[in-house]
Amino acid sequence: MNYKNMEPTDQYNFNIFKPRNLHGKKNRNVIFTMLVIWAVAVFGFQFLLRGIEKPTPEKSLMMFESTWPQAVNGTISSDDLQTLLFSLVHVSGKNTVQAEEQIVISEAITSVILGAMPDSIRPDVLELIASKEELKSNLADMQDQEYLGLKEEISGIENSLLFYTEPISGFSKGSLESTLLINSMKSVDPKSLSDPTFDNLPDIMKLYLIHNQSVLTDTKFLGFPFHYFYTAVFLLIMFIVLCIVYNILIEWRLKKQGVIE
Amino acid sequence: MTIMKRTYLILFLLFIAINSLNAESLTQLEGSFKTIPAIILIAVLITFVLVGVFFRAKDPADYYAAGRKISRVGSGMAIASNWMSAASVLGMAGMMYGFGYNGLAYVVGWTGGYVLLLILMAAQIRKYGKYTAPDFIGDRYYSRDLRIASAIFTILISFAYCVGQFGGIGLMFKWILGFNYAWAVIIGSSVVLLYTLISGMIGVTKNMQVQYVIIVISFVVPVFIMAFKFDYFWLLPQIGYGAAVTDIVQGIPAPNISDGIALVNAYGHDLAIVPSPEFAMPWDPSTKTTFFQWIAICFSLMVGTAGLPHVIQRFYVVPKVTDARWSVVWGLFFICIVYWTAPAYSAFGKLLSSNPDVGFLAKDAIVVYTAQLGGINTLIVGLLAAGAISAAFSTVSGLLVAGASAFSHDLYVRVINPDSTPKKQLKIARIGTVIMAVMVTVVALLRLGLIAQLVSVAFSMAACTIFPLFLLGIWWSGSNKAGAKAGLITGTVVTIIALTYFIVGLSGGSLPGQEFVSYWLNVWYFAWIGAPLAVLANIVVSLITKPTPLEIKKFLAEEVHN
Repeated sequence: MNYKNMEPTDQYNFNIFKPRNLHGKKNRNVIFTMLVIWAVAVFGFQFLLRGIEKPTPEKSLMMFESTWPQAVNGTISSDDLQTLLFSLVHVSGKNTVQAEEQIVISEAITSVILGAMPDSIRPDVLELIASKEELKSNLADMQDQEYLGLKEEISGIENSLLFYTEPISGFSKGSLESTLLINSMKSVDPKSLSDPTFDNLPDIMKLYLIHNQSVLTDTKFLGFPFHYFYTAVFLLIMFIVLCIVYNILIEWRLKKQGVIE
Repeated sequence: MTIMKRTYLILFLLFIAINSLNAESLTQLEGSFKTIPAIILIAVLITFVLVGVFFRAKDPADYYAAGRKISRVGSGMAIASNWMSAASVLGMAGMMYGFGYNGLAYVVGWTGGYVLLLILMAAQIRKYGKYTAPDFIGDRYYSRDLRIASAIFTILISFAYCVGQFGGIGLMFKWILGFNYAWAVIIGSSVVLLYTLISGMIGVTKNMQVQYVIIVISFVVPVFIMAFKFDYFWLLPQIGYGAAVTDIVQGIPAPNISDGIALVNAYGHDLAIVPSPEFAMPWDPSTKTTFFQWIAICFSLMVGTAGLPHVIQRFYVVPKVTDARWSVVWGLFFICIVYWTAPAYSAFGKLLSSNPDVGFLAKDAIVVYTAQLGGINTLIVGLLAAGAISAAFSTVSGLLVAGASAFSHDLYVRVINPDSTPKKQLKIARIGTVIMAVMVTVVALLRLGLIAQLVSVAFSMAACTIFPLFLLGIWWSGSNKAGAKAGLITGTVVTIIALTYFIVGLSGGSLPGQEFVSYWLNVWYFAWIGAPLAVLANIVVSLITKPTPLEIKKFLAEEVHN
């Protein structure tokens, strides 16, 4: 097709804002209405969520902040020590924690536990931890019965460790906290909690224990936090409904005007 | 068809036989050859190839657009299957598992874009009556250069999209066969290439319908079982998992006993978790994600959806304009079935993997790991993995056809050799498919990111380049050749900047403003600014240059918008 010599005219000019006829205007109105509903529902809600959110700390952060200064000064009571361990273990158990931050938390847990133990049993505990680490490093190469056997051996060591740690931590066997505690302990010499290694521990705790919450996140709907339901379930339903309504409206108008596409 | 029936009967009997032998016990999530999932995978792949053979393309019209013989529901299933890639089945749950609420930006972005597609594109594209995206762009903007450029972009977008899919295929083959990632990618790509070459799009369309059924059944069934097993509302687990999300936020102490029965994962670990609000709270600082990123990802994916050539191309295969509209609705509904379910995998996955003994899990395989940890029957887990591979296969085949179409139809036939015979065209399409598949395989072996992230690059590219051309081409007769070129150049520049900074950052280097550009013009979501800038450039240049020819305006006014 050669378009070079064609004269432009305004007769067929068209854009969505200035339709050429009544049908176009109605079509435009439907499209804009749909787009506004779509945009407000998707992005408007997120802006609302952003607007009303407040940084909300978990209970564990308050527990940590109330005990950490005493732990650093070496004046912590046994009850507070359990509180501190509880808060540390609860962060350690989050699987979003970055590897380098997990190391700091694990070292803090190890230092708190080993620091509270009598000197006489500390070497035994460190040996148990080292054995467990070695066995765990072999797990990846094991298959079937060998694998299960090794798992059982590790489980035995963990039970022994629990025997030593339970009086200090207060975490009884079978609790989630005891499992996390045992898994967090490393075969490293305990450090003083005033060691520079732990300087950024309070910031790490804040990072993982403060969340953006609001009435929209705290309200429950069909079991969900409301904002989660809205985004993960409702918006998708709304998209389908919008599409159906659009099709019905368009086809109804086309039929009314006798247009066959 | 008798042969098909016999084939299915054999597969069914095989299925029963496998079930009777189902005695594998779970020791490790990874690393070993898994017999039952391997047999299921092979059976599924054989089915795909057979379907491809029985519905193979006979001429270019069949190859490109399935002869326009596909029904609304059939087209909807094909749209859904074509759409639901490894990113949907594997990647999305992985994103939510790893990045919490930020992962929902992918769920919303990849579904909300269909509203744009419907109200702004679907019917108008069908009315315009072209086969491919470059066809439309070349004709609408009366430019051979733009046809070539858009054909190249179609290939590049399909290419970027395929890279993520091949990554997903590699992960699943690795899980099932115990091969290393490289061999898994090579074997998977060979199989998908084989049946795409045999079948073309008509075979692909039939395959897509079969694949959709496999994907949905394999994806949804394990969630029903897990919801039942772990005492959540199982009749509608897409809602029932909401209580699991709340449990994750509030924490579950151990032991977790319901009606006298301990709820444990396949290892015997309690279904217990420390309070983890970061899983559900918006843009949680600990996930290293921000509000801006949520909005930017969601917007880029939505706009990209409406600009993806292989998605747009689906509207050419429906018989009527009204079918184009309703196929979007059906397609979206079929897609949503999976998208409502994917967050359930991330929630159950979070609960089941909370014990530190489970160790680090690859996010992109969390769907399969979740089913394994949930103690689901090996047969069903195998089917789930095969479904995930089906999802990747169906998308890859559509992408390879779109890429090959751009290569043969838009570059070879329209530009290089207009007098070529249909036989020659088909041959060129097949050569294009092979070249593209080989190149994608090579890039997929580099493992540049998570599946969903890799796929989102394709979306941002489409949003910056193809989407503005379609949007303005359809809705503004004033958009002319010069404006289109300006818009395309703008979108291309933004794309190149984002990709350059990404590659430099990945290789450990640093360019001026590396941190700033890597955040605001990140390769996963650069379309948030790239697409509006491309639209703006198109408008400004169109207003100050020679107007659109009368013929084009007339066609738009009378044929597309009458």
